Amino acid sequence: MDFLLDASLFASTLRMVTPILLAALGGAICARVGLFNVGLEGLILIGAFSAIVGNHFTGNVLAAVLIAVLCSLLFSIIFGYMSIHLKANVIVVGIALNFLALGLTTFSLRAIFDVKGAYYNKDMVGLPKWDIPLLKDIPWLGDVLSGHSPLVYLSILLVIGLQYFLFKTVTGFRLLASGENPTAARSLGIKVSRIQYGAVLICGVLCGLAGAQLSLGNVTMFTEGMTSGRGFIALVATMLGQSNPIGVMASSMLFGFMDALSIRLQGFALPTHFTMMLPYIVTIIAMLFFKDKGYIQEARKSNESSR
Amino acid sequence: MDKLVQFGRSLMQPLLAVIVGLAAGAIAIVIVGGSVMETYAEMWKGAFGSFYFLTNTLSRATPIILIGLGVALAFRAGFFNMGSEGQMVLGALSAAVTAIYLPGSGLVKLIAAIIAGIIAGGIWSAFAGWLDARFRMNLLITTLLLNYIATLFAGYMVSYPLKDRTGSAAMAQTVMLDQSVWLPKLFKGMSLHAGFILAVVGAILLFLFMRYTVKGYEIRMLGGNPLFASYGGVQRGKMMLISMFVSGGFAGLAGSVEVLGTQYRYLDGALTSPGYAWSGIMATLLAGSHPLGTAVAAILLAALQTGGMGMERNTEVPLEVSSIIQAVLILFVSAKFTYSFIKRKKARS
Repeated sequence: MDFLLDASLFASTLRMVTPILLAALGGAICARVGLFNVGLEGLILIGAFSAIVGNHFTGNVLAAVLIAVLCSLLFSIIFGYMSIHLKANVIVVGIALNFLALGLTTFSLRAIFDVKGAYYNKDMVGLPKWDIPLLKDIPWLGDVLSGHSPLVYLSILLVIGLQYFLFKTVTGFRLLASGENPTAARSLGIKVSRIQYGAVLICGVLCGLAGAQLSLGNVTMFTEGMTSGRGFIALVATMLGQSNPIGVMASSMLFGFMDALSIRLQGFALPTHFTMMLPYIVTIIAMLFFKDKGYIQEARKSNESSR
Repeated sequence: MDKLVQFGRSLMQPLLAVIVGLAAGAIAIVIVGGSVMETYAEMWKGAFGSFYFLTNTLSRATPIILIGLGVALAFRAGFFNMGSEGQMVLGALSAAVTAIYLPGSGLVKLIAAIIAGIIAGGIWSAFAGWLDARFRMNLLITTLLLNYIATLFAGYMVSYPLKDRTGSAAMAQTVMLDQSVWLPKLFKGMSLHAGFILAVVGAILLFLFMRYTVKGYEIRMLGGNPLFASYGGVQRGKMMLISMFVSGGFAGLAGSVEVLGTQYRYLDGALTSPGYAWSGIMATLLAGSHPLGTAVAAILLAALQTGGMGMERNTEVPLEVSSIIQAVLILFVSAKFTYSFIKRKKARS
């Protein structure tokens, strides 16, 4: 098994899982306030595209990431407005946003760069790779954990931060309360819709980061629909992790590991189709064991149906 | 008279959404520097401009209508079936395999292929329903995941065991079906095939079923108020399996008629890349899960797509304008609840 499970496999797991993890954290926050965000896919796509646009026009990576965050934020405001303010069905709004994102990005790709399919420019700078000073000298661990983009490390910090925020701070409790029982929360004087907006905005920021990692971290290019289902996988990770930041991280890691493993297995005589199926099958099996408890009911409470 | 007013009001919302969608499209056209009227005229011509284009639009609408009907049924029962893509692909594959390997005369093979497609799509869909009813796994998620598994499985089947090795082309596809099992074309030289009639009949039948039968009432009740339905003695698990089977069956039928009427073989990606499944879901959302409305909405969406292609052929405006229009349409229709909400607020004050 040595040749199969070496350090680079785990390193690529970490790299590939970051967009999913970031988006899944956003989804978890939304789920915690009773909004089931199906629009993650679209939000990531917007982030990925605007990161490239920012990079193209400013030539600065930091500015590119900020622009990505800003655009996803704008998009998530639409989601919030439609689902909180106008009380539209969240799932329908999410699906519509996915379409809008796909249409807008492919259209803007034509309008801004005048190309079809993919945009690549060798002058664009990707996210820097950080070597962690002490860590990188540790033999095996250094190869796995060191030399990733800052967003990879940020995502891990965010998991810890969000876990603390949700379960140890007053605002976090208010957030949980407004998802758990909006009516009771309202009667306590908690501004439920304001908290819901806050959650949606956090989700927008996280998805923007996810998109930036996707288009500037893993590769430095944008292709039409480059999220290719990652948003939905993030949704699955949210659910598997029961909207608990650490759980979400574990389930994203499981998926990312299976994904990396499936790419590795392609080197063997196995047909690629079956190795590509592996992450999805494992996820379905994992769903059998980790059934979600609370949040579906929560989603059902605040919206007539969650399915 | 009251009914007429009500009918008019129910039409208002989609019409308003269409207008807003076209306005958004106009903005996009202006941004890329096209002329709005000219572009929309080209779009209209591309969709309905001649008899040829009209039949082209209708044949593109065929799978969208069928998928939309299936999704509409599931929505009405309160289930978000996002797995139409996988169900359609498996239906198409089964139809192709049946049509290739089953012995018998052309007509027998044709009917068997259609039935095989319906059953394959239905079983795949009911499997997701079973996972929800038995293990309480979220249907929305399982159907999404099963999509990937189905398309990858079908891709494997046509890349290895069923691959067409007769031609020189290295495409992942099955061999061409025998001409005797092709669905007849409705007009000579046009792409419209008998599948369209199946789709229209399906829409009418589903409408009558939902409206006038006991089972249809139970399905609507389950979607409208699950608690009331369970007091009334409707078994959720059983209804879920049945409605998911029928829902997937429609998607499977969509795949089958596409294979038997247009492609004449199963070609990997030919059903997934035009996004029929998502268009079908959009049509359902547009029409608020009304079967006949779904059919009309499907034709509208197909017209936007074929019109977009015509527009791209003849103007500088990119095809994606039509996907923007589609998305804005859906977004505005989803705010339907809004208006009733505002009304309620007004009534209270």
